[in-house]
Amino acid sequence: MSKLLEVKNLSTHFFTDDGLVKAVDNISYSLNEGETLGLVGESGCGKSVNALSLLRLIPNPPGKIVSGKVIFEDQNLLTLSEDDICRIRGNRMAMIFQEPMTSLNPVMTIGRQLMEPMEIHRQMTRGEIQERCLDLLKRVHIPEAPTRMNAYPHQFSGGMLQRAMIAMGLTCNPRLVIADEPTTALDVTIQAQLLELMKDLTREFGTALIIITHNLGIVARYADRVNVMYAGRIVEKSTAMDLYKNPRHPYTIGLMASVPRLDQDMKKKLKPIEGQPPDLIHLPSGCSFHPRCSYRVERCLNETPELKTVNENHEIACWVDVRT
Amino acid sequence: MSDETIDQLQPQRASRIGVWAVMKAILKHKVSCVGVVIIILLSLMAIFAPLIAPHDPNEQDLYHVLENPSRKHLLGTDDVGRDLLSRVIYGSRISLLVGVAATIFAAVIGVILGLIAGYKGGMVDMVIMRITDTFMCIPGLILLLVMAAALGPGLHNIIIAISLIGWTGFARIIRGQVLMVRELPYIEAANAAGASGFRIMFRHLLPNSLAPIIVAGSITIGGVIMLESAAAFLGLGVQPPTPSWGKALRIGYSYLEVVPLFSIAPGLMITLAILAFNFLGDGLRDALDPRLRGQGKKIE
Amino acid sequence: MKRYIASRLLYSILILFFVSILIFTLARLMPGDPIQAAAMINTDLANPEIMNDLRAKFGLDKPYHEQYFLWLTDFAKGEWGDSLGSGEEVLAMFLRRLPVTLELFIGATFWSFIIGFPFGIIAALRRNSWLDASLTTTSIIGVSIPVFWEGIVFIYLFAVILPIFPPSGYVPFSESPWENLLSVAMPTFVMGTQTAGLLARYVRSSLLEVLGQDFIRTARAKGLREKAMLIRHAARPALLPVVTVIGLSWGYMVAGSFLVEYMFAIPGLGRMGVNAVFARDFPVIQATLVIVALNVMLANLTVDLVYGYLDPRVRIH
Ligand SMILES: Nc1ncnc2c1ncn2[C@@H]1O[C@H](COP(=O)(O)OP(=O)(O)O)[C@@H](O)[C@H]1O
Ligand SMILES: [Mg+2]
Repeated sequence: MSKLLEVKNLSTHFFTDDGLVKAVDNISYSLNEGETLGLVGESGCGKSVNALSLLRLIPNPPGKIVSGKVIFEDQNLLTLSEDDICRIRGNRMAMIFQEPMTSLNPVMTIGRQLMEPMEIHRQMTRGEIQERCLDLLKRVHIPEAPTRMNAYPHQFSGGMLQRAMIAMGLTCNPRLVIADEPTTALDVTIQAQLLELMKDLTREFGTALIIITHNLGIVARYADRVNVMYAGRIVEKSTAMDLYKNPRHPYTIGLMASVPRLDQDMKKKLKPIEGQPPDLIHLPSGCSFHPRCSYRVERCLNETPELKTVNENHEIACWVDVRT
Repeated sequence: MSDETIDQLQPQRASRIGVWAVMKAILKHKVSCVGVVIIILLSLMAIFAPLIAPHDPNEQDLYHVLENPSRKHLLGTDDVGRDLLSRVIYGSRISLLVGVAATIFAAVIGVILGLIAGYKGGMVDMVIMRITDTFMCIPGLILLLVMAAALGPGLHNIIIAISLIGWTGFARIIRGQVLMVRELPYIEAANAAGASGFRIMFRHLLPNSLAPIIVAGSITIGGVIMLESAAAFLGLGVQPPTPSWGKALRIGYSYLEVVPLFSIAPGLMITLAILAFNFLGDGLRDALDPRLRGQGKKIE
Repeated sequence: MKRYIASRLLYSILILFFVSILIFTLARLMPGDPIQAAAMINTDLANPEIMNDLRAKFGLDKPYHEQYFLWLTDFAKGEWGDSLGSGEEVLAMFLRRLPVTLELFIGATFWSFIIGFPFGIIAALRRNSWLDASLTTTSIIGVSIPVFWEGIVFIYLFAVILPIFPPSGYVPFSESPWENLLSVAMPTFVMGTQTAGLLARYVRSSLLEVLGQDFIRTARAKGLREKAMLIRHAARPALLPVVTVIGLSWGYMVAGSFLVEYMFAIPGLGRMGVNAVFARDFPVIQATLVIVALNVMLANLTVDLVYGYLDPRVRIH
């Protein structure tokens, strides 16, 4: 498999009135063609900022990508001209956003919004574009697609809107789709349906996928590999399988205990991680997780751990070995 | 339930106006600082007019009418030889007095009607709001002209007329606020605790609505000063010989080619006064309306 | 949509009813009765016989509710009465002066658009820069500066010192298009200043609000370039609150026309209104008030309709 995306030492900061927010702090990871990567972490840990940074969609001010490289299909997206990055967005790399209700233009028909990526990136006639959109709408199981094309977002249900968003992300047959918590706002059965659908479609087209979520259960089921983020950094990086079987970072272990697992007795009590996610402006010293960590040692208070390899497909950023 | 407990239930306790917080916010807002400085200067001018003014504003000197600026008369003289600078200084009294007094009366009328409409709802609300809509169908200046024509000239009548015109904005704002606040748990708690309607309105609903009242108040003062001087410019103002900027403008306008400052100077003062209150209102809005504060929306 | 239009219309009619009562009351607030009030100023009328004739003519000897319905029905029939001053039919006066004021309104709107929109858009796109700060401050000044003072300064600068424009007066378009434009250039600019400032501020804040919304990010993520994004996605939703301000300003421009027509000696409806107030010419006052209120209401109604057109959420429900 060839490398599709490589993120190197990416940092994105927000310069707010209250202080500097290092929303993404020196992270590196890579992704192969057709692979699915899960990005997990509590809300506010920098998952969305990470995703938006790839496509340079960070609002500036107050945000800015301060360093790093995003190598996608052999070019560094961070140094491309505005015109060139526009040619990538929605075409080679597409994004599916979290809130379908607010992420679609309320005064534009679904059809027009759906056709837009192809109007921008493809030299096709209106008829051809329309045909492909109708086809896609059918593939995402939207009934009565032709009439739905002329409807406005407020006439759709949340689940339908998210389906339309997924279709929109796939119209140009991108190499990478980033789905930012695509199902959080929806109820559980629809969530599962949509994820299956997305998985099927990306598999069919050989599209790589980054699924952002705070639900490890979803990751375990749909992702090949996983990055666990905490306070702007990646604290554990592994294959999904290995992570699920042998979580090595105390934070990941905490996360696992706090989400329902499919292979466990449903009656087992869930245990949320104690304490609050940190305030990114006033980060704790040393390892950001130490105030909430039950494994902490003296060193955690003073030194920030870097990612280190623990076995061939598993890296963690932690001073202690939780297995001992 | 005691008021104390109800207060504790109140979620935006912090958003009740802390005088210091507001002052700090205004100081941070450059434009509204300028506004505050101008307002203070104008107020000092109005209060200490007798000390500052170089001449008696009503002293006529028929040998020196319509003069351009000189050592003796820094801004020149008007059509009956009165010192223009002194009249401009004294003129601040009328503008500020009418501006503040009419705004306060208008706010009182508006707040009471808005509270009642928002709190009572139903038919009462319907009627009050349709009345405000009705008043809003006729622009203030035109209402003022007709009312002033009916009531006759004079300071009191101008203030009364403007108050009767200016209340509608306040009523709308308060009603909107009340509708928003009414559903909050602590108001329901107060209701459930059997607090009387008036008590709830004045002790609980009103304080929550103070921020927008203050913003609207500041901007309304500017608007009232504009109305008063516009009416005076058209010939409906305080009676002579009381110095008034709008009146001076009206008379000076006919002598624009001879003594331009006669109309331009008082007009500049009117503009400055209106500007100052609008500047202040802007800063207050930024300081008091949390929705408008801060930068950019957080991305989720 | 039909339901929506119908409900707006119904509402307008209800308000119109309230407004007519307000106007009727205002006209009768004049000291004594309207005729007596007029006679106090216009000595030609100060004769008991003439006064009684006039009272009978306007039905002022009848009880109030009858007077009210008489006035309403006559007004609807186009019988607006005669001016107490000139004796001319009020409807004829209105029709003669309407085009003049309409020209001022259109001119003022023109100025306010070509200033307000660019100011607001540039300020929003360059937010928090010095350019934004100066445009925004200029807009507040534009909102604050009183029409009559701006008018005087302009006359002084561009008619007295540099005699480019006539200091006052009005030349009809049919007489000389060029002189017509010269004669309305200053008055319309002065009238449009306040609206320009308001527009700039609303365009700025509305555009900023829209640009911060999620769907703009979606549009960017599709690969739309900035300009295309602004035109296709931001313009329409950003226009919604602006439409309201435009409507409001159009309605309230009447006040500006009163002042501007008075100071520039333009024979429009505003001047007619001012004169009528000072002559206590109550048939003209009443008619003026009705026109003013109708103008505001028509502006509001138009805003509602445009809103419905622009926003499918309104249109479809
Ligand atoms: N526009 C913004 N302005 C300031 N701070 C921001 C902005 N967007 C995100 N942040 C900050 O970046 C951090 C990461 O946010 P985000 O990536 O949205 O978290 P999540 O992991 O829930 O997606 C948050 O702490 C947030 O405060
Ligand atoms: Mg997020």
